[in-house]
Amino acid sequence: MKIKYAIILGLLAILIGAGIGLKMFFKPHADINKLKTEFKVDASGLIGEFEQDENTATFKYSEKVLEISGKLVVKNKLSNGTDLLILEDEMQGISCQLDSSWSAANQETIEALETGSSITVKGICKGYLMEIKVSPAVVISK
Amino acid sequence: MLKKLFILIFITASIGASGQGKFIAKNAYISFYSSTPLEDILGESNEAVTILNAETGEIGFQALMTTFHFKRALMEEHFNENYMESAKYPKARFNGKIEGFTKDMLNAPIANIKVTGLLNVHGVEKTITVPGTLGIENGKLVGTSKFEVTPEDYGIVIPAIVRDKIGKQMEVTVKANYLPFGQ
Repeated sequence: MKIKYAIILGLLAILIGAGIGLKMFFKPHADINKLKTEFKVDASGLIGEFEQDENTATFKYSEKVLEISGKLVVKNKLSNGTDLLILEDEMQGISCQLDSSWSAANQETIEALETGSSITVKGICKGYLMEIKVSPAVVISK
Repeated sequence: MLKKLFILIFITASIGASGQGKFIAKNAYISFYSSTPLEDILGESNEAVTILNAETGEIGFQALMTTFHFKRALMEEHFNENYMESAKYPKARFNGKIEGFTKDMLNAPIANIKVTGLLNVHGVEKTITVPGTLGIENGKLVGTSKFEVTPEDYGIVIPAIVRDKIGKQMEVTVKANYLPFGQ
């Protein structure tokens, strides 16, 4: 009788373990819309922080969820279809690659964006390579 | 006659000067690929920055490790936390030079090239020579490369339990659509 229980218990443990393992394996990517904003910043201020001390700014912002407000200077589509928005400066500004599923559902919003206007994007800051890289991102206000 | 020659030299020199400068791609593509029995592992970034010096044929690449996206969130986590240690080594860099570079290569149809330089990944630097292509495609200067790297060469430790499942070598693919810059 005891052996029977032990076997059932063992099988149950394996099943739960496999379940957790599979759940972890198939864990979806984080939905940027649902992530909590950690920093609300102004585009030019953020650029200033990275230009002044890249290491400190990278440590502070890398992999963090940011809400960035600034002037839209470039609206573009990359060859793979990703929508790209650049804030403040074309060469050394803030480059935001939009989340592909958000983009697909919000093409009208993207089309309505006008360069020269002020917008706010929410996205994950990746760091600095001549410009600040933010991806994936979504537009939260225009 | 002398005056004409002088003007001609002057014009040629100024044309040369206007062609000087650099080419840049701020959204260059880089991918890592490895085939495993369970499923293929592919990490892709469209956020690498590369500059090509039109005078010397020197090429520089930089990529932020955290910009690589994988199909599964778990793969991305492992890539950044266990293998690349992205918080400690956020960038990968390559600085090299096109072998036998001439300026004509920048205006010619796509042709094969070889680039030799220093690749810095995971804080480890190694000299590599990689094959690639460079030339005009649809009116734009395009550079590509495909080569293999061995993670162990760069001090990337892959645990024994998954070591057999991940190919010994990772295939790296690079593609950049260059634009003139800083003329």
